[in-house]
Amino acid sequence: MLITSPGRLRKRGIVGMNKRNVVYIGQNNKRKFYPRVDDKLITKILAEEAGIAVPRLIGVARYQRHTKQLAEFLAQEKAFVIKPSKGSGGKGILVIVGRDGNDYLKPSGSRVNDQALRRHVSDILSGLFSLGGRPDVAMIEELVNFSDVFEGFSFEGVPDIRIIVYKGYPVMAMTRLSTRESDGKANLHQGAVGVGIDIGSGKALNAVQHGQPVEIHPDTGRNLNELEVPDWPVFLDLGARSYEMSELGYLGADVVLDKFKGPLILELNARPGLAIQVANNHGLESRVARIEEEIRTCQRNPSERVAFSMQHFAS
Amino acid sequence: MKTKLQLIIMIVTLLALGFGTTLYKVKVLGFSFSPDKEETVWTVESTIDFEADGGPVKVSLNMPDNSAGLAVTEAHKETSGYTFSRNVKGKERRGTWISKEDKNGPQRIYYRVNIYRRHSSPTVTSGSAPALPELSQPFTEAYLAAADTLLEESRESAEDAAQTSTNLINNLNDPEKNEAAALLLKMPRESGGYLSLAQDLLTKSQIPSRISKGLLLDKNNKKKKLTSYIEVFDGKKWLLINPKTAQIEDPDAFLLWQQNHESLLEVEGGSNSKVRFSSITTKILANQAAIKSGHQQSSWLIDFSIYSLPLSSQNTFRLLLLIPFGALIVVILRNLVGIQTAGTFMPILIALAFLQTKLIVGLILFITVVGVGLLMRSYLSHLNLLLVPRISAVLVFVITIYLAISVIGVKMGSELGLNVTFFPMIIISWSIERMCVLWEEEGGKDALIQGSGSLFTASLIYLLMINDFVGNMIYAFPELLLVLLALILMIGTYSGYRLSELRRFEPMGRE
Repeated sequence: MLITSPGRLRKRGIVGMNKRNVVYIGQNNKRKFYPRVDDKLITKILAEEAGIAVPRLIGVARYQRHTKQLAEFLAQEKAFVIKPSKGSGGKGILVIVGRDGNDYLKPSGSRVNDQALRRHVSDILSGLFSLGGRPDVAMIEELVNFSDVFEGFSFEGVPDIRIIVYKGYPVMAMTRLSTRESDGKANLHQGAVGVGIDIGSGKALNAVQHGQPVEIHPDTGRNLNELEVPDWPVFLDLGARSYEMSELGYLGADVVLDKFKGPLILELNARPGLAIQVANNHGLESRVARIEEEIRTCQRNPSERVAFSMQHFAS
Repeated sequence: MKTKLQLIIMIVTLLALGFGTTLYKVKVLGFSFSPDKEETVWTVESTIDFEADGGPVKVSLNMPDNSAGLAVTEAHKETSGYTFSRNVKGKERRGTWISKEDKNGPQRIYYRVNIYRRHSSPTVTSGSAPALPELSQPFTEAYLAAADTLLEESRESAEDAAQTSTNLINNLNDPEKNEAAALLLKMPRESGGYLSLAQDLLTKSQIPSRISKGLLLDKNNKKKKLTSYIEVFDGKKWLLINPKTAQIEDPDAFLLWQQNHESLLEVEGGSNSKVRFSSITTKILANQAAIKSGHQQSSWLIDFSIYSLPLSSQNTFRLLLLIPFGALIVVILRNLVGIQTAGTFMPILIALAFLQTKLIVGLILFITVVGVGLLMRSYLSHLNLLLVPRISAVLVFVITIYLAISVIGVKMGSELGLNVTFFPMIIISWSIERMCVLWEEEGGKDALIQGSGSLFTASLIYLLMINDFVGNMIYAFPELLLVLLALILMIGTYSGYRLSELRRFEPMGRE
């Protein structure tokens, strides 16, 4: 069978693009709140104000003249990340893991001298990496010390956890594991593996590559069933609290696990995709309906919402 | 929910307006869905000849009237040396020519009208019947008895006023078989003769009637005479009866020129006046006829429409009106089918270019330009240029490619390559830029999917745009845009699955 029937999808509660756009995003996400998630600097400032754990912001370069002060400003920082505030698709992110004399070291071991670093920041400011080429600002934040619990689950890099939050209730979660085929990118339709994560326990539920179920990671050979996210309620709590902060009713929160600081929100997304349903082998519809029903009767704080979700959306 | 209701009301209103106007134009104004349908138009010319007496001259001619079935437009009314004016007195419309200076000798005045068939349903006069005309002269004793007998006979087998009238006229036409009729026809009359007798008899049997003079528009005729008809009111509408045959004639073919006792032609300052009529028929497109007769009736639907524009602008709009169809196709393909395109409305612009180049040539040219452009653009990626300089560089590439294709084409003896200039270069540049970024970020597969999606969409739009039926429909019925808008609004709120999602989520549909 190459295609399925709308009836079957409906029965399983699968949400399509049109429904996501018209109902979930259209009715829950006010346009004026979009900058809160589209501009990572605003996200970070709001998150810090709300006490939501994020990688610490070291500084912001707003004007070209700031580039000259970079060396001095970063003198005390060993490892950091420079990224465009309004970048898309991971473009323009420069990761520095250490120092060697006056040079900076990239994760690959190659060196970046002071001039190249300045140039990179200058490129960010002039909008090289932002959508539509608009001028941008460069954020410098501390490097996440990725926990090694996900070792072997990804071909390159460290996976983050995507949690879909509906009106403050975590509804579904997944992680995207890069493969050789996806060229190290965590992009599902380029061949990355999507692993659905049980809201109730943080354990892997189901893994898919190209929409087809897989058991082991195609490159590392690791059994994907063994994947389990530690401190799971903390992850969910971060997701739930980002609702109050962003006021977006349909939200995707990308959370990473730091070895020392625990889960941190990396970024938020106002238009989270629908592949999560495939990774979970479960539709969003019924869970969203359950939450709508719940909201009509009572209002809850984030930790109560997490408890509710863990109880009702566990597999 | 409030917005939902608003939207439904809006959609229903748009649909009703769009379809309602279309239907009105078809049913009442005579527009046709098939663009090639032809209508007959009559041109009736009246020629007035007279001898001027050497002084000022005033000529007045009773003018033909609009009827329920026929629309009359003046085609030619000015005659040199005369000023023309139109005056209306009661129901009587007259045209008057007054000489600008003294006239002597034979004079000729032309008056020409075009007549279009109207498509309104016959006017049904509801409520009160028209008043009975007064008897032109009373029936005296013997004649009264004869009249009663004749009416009695005429009514005998008749079911309604129409039949009574035709029976009556039949009887009057056959005095050899009908004594009463023979007697009545011998009755001395002050004026009017036969027709006035028939009218009096009809009045006596309580059937309102009137005598009309006009032309029967049947075929080309050089010499036509005004003929007299009796119109009778059957309680609902006027029926036109030919007094010679007692047949009920089609009022749509009767050009009413004169009613009751209006005079046809009056000439002051001249003698030996006479008026002649001739008619020719021509065929014109039904929609053209509808527009002309609409103008004449000063129907605001026609007056405030595309047809009031100069012809050249009308042609521009003919094309512009098709663009919303392109938008509809894009909306359908993106939101219902789930085809990805590079740039939302880029396919529409490509389709417009295809209109100039024709499909196959257009496709080849497009693929060549974008393909070469992508290769050249991919080199720019290494240079880390800023956005605007990057696009500008791509634009230079695109123009260069245009030039190269044209030159190479011409050198090889084919001018087809010159068609490449019809492609909008800014849009092509942006498309190349977007596809290249997509290629880098998501991979070549995605870029190809979007590229071919765009071409597929553009081809569909092109096929729709060259379709004569669609083109003529939207040109004849621009109000269908409202229907289009309603459709777009409907799709805008569609929250069901896209066709592509039935494939994408196929594994989820398995048991």
